[in-house]
Amino acid sequence: MIHQYQLGGYHIVLDVCSGAVHVVDEIAYDLIALYEKMPREDAERKIYEKHGGKPGVTREEIAECYDDITALKDAGKLFSPDTFEPMAGTLKAKTAGVVKALCLHVAHTCNLNCSYCFASQGKYHGDRAVMSFEVGKQALDFLVANSGSRRNLEVDFFGGEPLMNFGVVKELVAYARSIEKEKNKNFRFTLTTNGMLIDDDVIDFANRECSNVVLSLDGRREIHDRFRVDYAGNGSWEKIVPNFQKLVKARGGKNYYMRGTFTHANPDFLEDIKVMLGLGFRELSMEPVVCAEGDPSALTEDDLPVVERQYEQLAGLMIAERKAGRPFTFYHYMIDLTGGPCIYKRISGCGSGTEYMAVTPWGDLYPCHQFVGEEKFRLGDIWHGVENPAVQADFAACNVYAREECRECWARLYCSGGCAANAYHATGSVRGVYAPGCRLFRKRMECAIMAEIAKTIPPDSEG
Amino acid sequence: MRHIQTIETRDLCESAKKGGCGECQTSCQSACKTSCGIANQQCENTETASAEK
Repeated sequence: MIHQYQLGGYHIVLDVCSGAVHVVDEIAYDLIALYEKMPREDAERKIYEKHGGKPGVTREEIAECYDDITALKDAGKLFSPDTFEPMAGTLKAKTAGVVKALCLHVAHTCNLNCSYCFASQGKYHGDRAVMSFEVGKQALDFLVANSGSRRNLEVDFFGGEPLMNFGVVKELVAYARSIEKEKNKNFRFTLTTNGMLIDDDVIDFANRECSNVVLSLDGRREIHDRFRVDYAGNGSWEKIVPNFQKLVKARGGKNYYMRGTFTHANPDFLEDIKVMLGLGFRELSMEPVVCAEGDPSALTEDDLPVVERQYEQLAGLMIAERKAGRPFTFYHYMIDLTGGPCIYKRISGCGSGTEYMAVTPWGDLYPCHQFVGEEKFRLGDIWHGVENPAVQADFAACNVYAREECRECWARLYCSGGCAANAYHATGSVRGVYAPGCRLFRKRMECAIMAEIAKTIPPDSEG
Repeated sequence: MRHIQTIETRDLCESAKKGGCGECQTSCQSACKTSCGIANQQCENTETASAEK
């Protein structure tokens, strides 16, 4: 399977199964489109009919181009077949029972009252609660005990607002550090915060202990304050922005993401990205809202073309800023073409429910943070492990080949089958497909690959 | 005339021979938290990844 598209002045051809990326001229672009559809002489004739009058385009030139395409096919870089399906379960089977990441819900409560919150203001449709040190410690022990030979363990402090339970967060990190050498493990902590409680102590802790911090900011003040308000209805932008700026400045180059959510209120989210850049933030993430269909903040069908155009313009802005010596990163445009994941990872699907689980304040295990509160997805708890193997098996079976729609999708090896939570909320099945999310994902990948190409081939030197 | 330029990429078919160590990051942990994608992840097994090149 191949995928052809034009973007940023480039004609781009992706060979889906080998991962090869080709930048071609319009003759090769059109010839590749015809290559498998008709005999050589017919394809060459059609190309000559279309392009024959252009400078330098001769029948010999077209024949030479055809030979180049054939050579690439023979080298396994065009029209390569998908031979990976038998391996789809390999990675999960090899690591069955191994848990390598936990999302610790240290606080099912929040000091903001954002109406679009998928976690229903941090409570996950339940009661307010905070995790005790004893529960958190058991969760870390559970992770270590179930991580097999895996050395790098990821733990995300999540909520609600995790800094509402900062004392326990610090105690848990101290505990983890005290055992990691003896257990031959390396904990990587992430803190996801709304910024309301950031102070010097938090900054010092986050920059010393957390390999990543995720900072929630929606961009423009009026956009941010539309949803991200306190319980009195006051916007949070003015309070959190200086906190984030101070934290990032002190971070000294360590990873962070300024993470925004865009909704029906701001499908023109590029304006929010520009505000983030103007505030001095350079590591950015902007996510479509996750909410029930019919929710007023949900993106509509009419929003999608707007969002797609925004993604294209964002890629253009990224290239321009890079050229001007002011590079920034956008989470979904970070793509490592030479060192990205191996094929096993690409086809094995999201690790939710198998290698990745969420832990509630009282120690229950769920497949991921987005399933917390959905009782039928409860996997077990941190004392007894997985007690609901049927649910886990359902998640273990999620992979690129588990969904018919993915088989025909050129982007499947960049997404690994999509988000089980999005699929469940859209279709009622974790093996469903959330079509609007897929559409935006494909657009992001087209943009990401184009922006990566621009590093090697400047936009005005194609072909 | 050069019609096709091929960008250097990791050969996914080659990665089938030596990949699968499982040390890589879980898909959306530590970042977006609301969508799945693996394109932006690093291979943690640098020895294997470089050996394929």
